[in-house]
Amino acid sequence: MEHLIEELKKEIIEVLNLEEMTPADIDENAPLFGEGLGLDSIDALELIVLLEKNYGIKLQNANEGKEIFKSVRVMAEYIKEHRTK
Amino acid sequence: MIFNIGDNIVSPLGWTSDENWCSVLEGKSGGRLCIDSLGVPEPFFASLLDDDELETKFLQLRHSQDVNYTKLEKMAIISVADALSVSGISPQSDEVVLILSTTKGNVELLETSLTHDRAYLTYSAQRIADYFRIPTAPVVVSNACISGCAAQVTANRLLHRGGFRYAIVCGVDVLSKFIVSGFQSFKALSAEQCKPFDAHRTGLNLGEAAATIVYAKDRKDVRPDCPCACLVAGAICNDANHISGPSRTAEGLTSALSQILASVDSDRIAFVNAHGTATRYNDDMESVALSRTGLSNLPVNSLKGYFGHTLGAAGILEVILSTRQLQHHTILRTLGCEEPGTVQPVRPTQKQESTDKSSFVKMISGFGGGNAALLVSLETPNSVKKNNLAEVAPIRVLAQDLCYDGLWVRPDGSTWQPEIADPKRWMSELYRQLDLNYPKFFKMDKLSKLGTLAAEMVMRHVGQATDELKSDWAVVCFNRASSLDDDRSYQNTIADADNYFPSPSVFVYTLANIVAGELAIKYRILGETSFYIAEHPDVMQMERAFADVLDLTPARFVLGGWLDFDNGHCSVRLFIVSRSNDEKLPRFDEMILE
Repeated sequence: MEHLIEELKKEIIEVLNLEEMTPADIDENAPLFGEGLGLDSIDALELIVLLEKNYGIKLQNANEGKEIFKSVRVMAEYIKEHRTK
Repeated sequence: MIFNIGDNIVSPLGWTSDENWCSVLEGKSGGRLCIDSLGVPEPFFASLLDDDELETKFLQLRHSQDVNYTKLEKMAIISVADALSVSGISPQSDEVVLILSTTKGNVELLETSLTHDRAYLTYSAQRIADYFRIPTAPVVVSNACISGCAAQVTANRLLHRGGFRYAIVCGVDVLSKFIVSGFQSFKALSAEQCKPFDAHRTGLNLGEAAATIVYAKDRKDVRPDCPCACLVAGAICNDANHISGPSRTAEGLTSALSQILASVDSDRIAFVNAHGTATRYNDDMESVALSRTGLSNLPVNSLKGYFGHTLGAAGILEVILSTRQLQHHTILRTLGCEEPGTVQPVRPTQKQESTDKSSFVKMISGFGGGNAALLVSLETPNSVKKNNLAEVAPIRVLAQDLCYDGLWVRPDGSTWQPEIADPKRWMSELYRQLDLNYPKFFKMDKLSKLGTLAAEMVMRHVGQATDELKSDWAVVCFNRASSLDDDRSYQNTIADADNYFPSPSVFVYTLANIVAGELAIKYRILGETSFYIAEHPDVMQMERAFADVLDLTPARFVLGGWLDFDNGHCSVRLFIVSRSNDEKLPRFDEMILE
């Protein structure tokens, strides 16, 4: 799990172009949206692409992301359970 | 005020405006479920033009076999030819200007070659102008979804202040894997017929169309046998909120509506023709704008259920059919809307209604935070507010900077040159040197990064690099390559069938005007944001556009100029201009841009 969290942080930094951040800057228990990293709706859509591209998880509805993207830890747990690759 | 003397719509519902009008009266829709279409792996619901029928129609034209034209160019040529024939004017005159409104032009050609020269929007515009032997240079407006309305605002200005007598305003876009996959990545498309303003709306449908209006400057050019319709007023305002999401408070659309409503007695307005894309946020935002401007009680309709969202054609197609609604005293129903439901209550039409009023309001909004509103009337108003044409002072440059391939000349005259040639890396280096502290910068495409760096330097020079609201500022930009650099990046995310992952964060930048939207957001500029595509930086064209915005809109300052990024090369000439008698400031018309 901790390994997956670390991997996910790196992927998030890369796909969302969080150029000035390192994995250590991201608190895996903090909210991804709102205050946390200051992400917006386009970032949420890009995270949906990340789930599909890297883990083979296809979300049909952008609203499903709301629950999954609560924090990096919640996201990692969801991936662990649903990944197809 | 300018007069419609001929129009045309080419769409799956017909080849003339009248054919399209008859189809919508009968409640027909061009939409259908498209499976294995355009190379898009997932099904989508859209309104596509039949390629064989298009070919047949095109071959019936006089010079059609002379040159090889793309689908986009053929649609535009058929549409312009018919509108010209209705108007009875000859396009071979230096009193005529072609204004092309398109969001993506021939972008599908990037599938065959990423460096295709026909993907440049000016190339298509020139081919269409050449077909009709129009001797003047075409003007290309690329302002995302509001392009069609913005092009009509431009027509009004060019006819009254640019020395032209007739403007041929043509809007056109074709659907391609590029466009459809991008909207799919945004989760914005409905899998079924769209439902504008419906409580259970499911997203938008896309559509293909070309639409043309020939506008004349003088009423006497309206043929006596034709019902007269005139564009009375138009306004463009930015939300300064988000590049893809509409403002929840409908900031820009409310301002644009307020500006045009000053020209009319609201008792004369028959209905509002909305953008009505059937996305949750757009329709809610429009309901807020109608409520804030006191128009909630008027019938409002959307034509997206009949045609889908026809992108660069939408603002023109919808004005043509809304004019028909006035002329036939019939307000069309909003196809797809069964149970109205928006955040503010409005009156979407659920059946045809009759009217004896003489004006309508058109509104439209789009990516980049742009909103436009137009007022069209069948009567010539007796007293239209006279534009203040007195040019009290010349346009002067308050600040400027320039960049060519990384070599910058800053507003204070000093230079900066990067040690690294790679644009992405030197842009980050300059960002750090400027101590910008704007993390969003790293999410931008290179054109927007370039614009942000250039703007930050000029805005600091005049002490305006702040987030205070600037309602008397506008952004007016020009370039050659549109968003082609980002278009190529996006194409790479969809080119390989085994690695097909359309990227929403790349797609959102595949519109030239997004950089103008980014600047509006960063400096909270609430005035007009416009983007024109041109072959070269042209002092006269820019000065005219700056003057129009300074003289005809509430803006007193324009942040604008040339911002181009293409194939790794960049060129920037960015200015802050204002009308001023301060002789210490250089005059804009004395600038050398090349």
